[in-house]
Amino acid sequence: MHVKVISSDGHELILEREHMQIIRNNKAMLSGPGQFAENEIKESNFRELLPHMLRKVCMYFTYKVHYTSDSTDITKFLIAPETALELLMAANFQDCLKEIIASC
Amino acid sequence: MEAGEEPLLLAELKPGRPHQFDWKSSCETWSVAFSPDGSWFAWSQGHCVVKLVPWPLEEQFIPKGFEAKSRSSKNDSKGRGSLKEKTLDCGQIVWGLAFSPWPSPPSRKLWARHHSQVPDVSCLILATGLNDGQIKIWEVQTGLLLLNLSGHQDVVRDLSFTPSGSLILVSASRDKTLRIWDLNKHGKQIQVLSGHLQWVYCCSISPDCSMLCSAAGEKSVFLWSMRSYTLIRKLEGHQSSVVSCDFSPDSALLVTASYDTSVIMWDPYTGERLRSLHHTQLEPPMDDSDVHMSSLRSVCFSPEGLYLATVADDRLLRIWALELKTPVAFAPMTNGLCCTFFPHGGVIATGTRDGHVQFWTAPRVLSSLKHLCRKALRSFLTTYQVLALPIPKKMKEFLTYRTF
Repeated sequence: MHVKVISSDGHELILEREHMQIIRNNKAMLSGPGQFAENEIKESNFRELLPHMLRKVCMYFTYKVHYTSDSTDITKFLIAPETALELLMAANFQDCLKEIIASC
Repeated sequence: MEAGEEPLLLAELKPGRPHQFDWKSSCETWSVAFSPDGSWFAWSQGHCVVKLVPWPLEEQFIPKGFEAKSRSSKNDSKGRGSLKEKTLDCGQIVWGLAFSPWPSPPSRKLWARHHSQVPDVSCLILATGLNDGQIKIWEVQTGLLLLNLSGHQDVVRDLSFTPSGSLILVSASRDKTLRIWDLNKHGKQIQVLSGHLQWVYCCSISPDCSMLCSAAGEKSVFLWSMRSYTLIRKLEGHQSSVVSCDFSPDSALLVTASYDTSVIMWDPYTGERLRSLHHTQLEPPMDDSDVHMSSLRSVCFSPEGLYLATVADDRLLRIWALELKTPVAFAPMTNGLCCTFFPHGGVIATGTRDGHVQFWTAPRVLSSLKHLCRKALRSFLTTYQVLALPIPKKMKEFLTYRTF
């Protein structure tokens, strides 16, 4: 089960649904209510998000999922200062990204 | 372990050989330290001896069930030689300890020129601060004494290497001065920092290497520039001797601990007091007798910057979360003197008056994405630079840690 997220330049990233469950009923993110049908891919648009920022958010999801199940030896998650500022600003102005980052 | 769970004792190390009782009581563990890469642990185990043990500890020291938690898998694959315990006999009481960051590129060939037994690869250095003011510089892997630094007139209570690996060492002494030494130039003393009126108990360099904090008996905390070695500001607020200080990993916060029973958290760039953490007894008395408050001995930040550990005279190790006013966890420990976090998180080491060290489980927490962004920005920007950014006020408050 997968979710496809699309960034501002049409760049597509496919994430496993279990990772997206971290977001908990984030309606803004998922295009349409209801349960997923088996093998269905839901599309979600983050057309305002630059691809490198979206990649960083997705990398964080993967990092979080990995270390939630195994918390020994947590490695550092590095973010460049420019990206950090962009992410915080984007989180401030985009409701959907704000909810994602708040739930991280 | 989640936040809120009590620290559990993982292991305890005791001094190896029996010593004759010395009424002057020289058996204290005044300092404990991990090397910045987490591969060694050092403790001044009293009676003039420093013990160096490779980390993670050998399994014989660890109770069953805890092995996984105390291991750092990073070390297993490195093929370094001589990963054996070392004992350094310093000849006098050891008060301060500090490891250099490793590897330290500039010195790679420096030591080998003078000591043929020193490995021709980069060295891990340990500096030890002694009772009469001397500082002995050791190479960790071989246990060789490299240098003797003279200059201080009294106990060298604390030492700190610059985190950049430039082999600049700062020492803090009861002779009321701090001194800057350049180990690239055979330990040449390059500066004396005067100004304190009483014993200097502690020194700490900010992770971005821009600031030096010193804490002293006359209740003041000084901030010095590590570029010009001049005084930037004095932080007033404590009511008694200030005995411990530490910067947050992003250099944005400074904590200081005092015999006045409080820990104060400061913004080192503006000098503002952000909060005070009071150390009161766990259960206040039923009657009207005074709540006992307890002198602090040591405070340190966790490596991800979300927790503090404190050791106080009321026989408690306390864990504090950054944004809360009361501790999130306690563990009983008697006669505690010092504490430090393992650099990769998960373990706290403490030292006591009887020369023992203990290792405790520490909260393992995954930083939120917001906190990681804040840390990334603050490692790079001063408070004033943040305030000058064209961003909303709430975001400035978050980035400057004013959102308590």
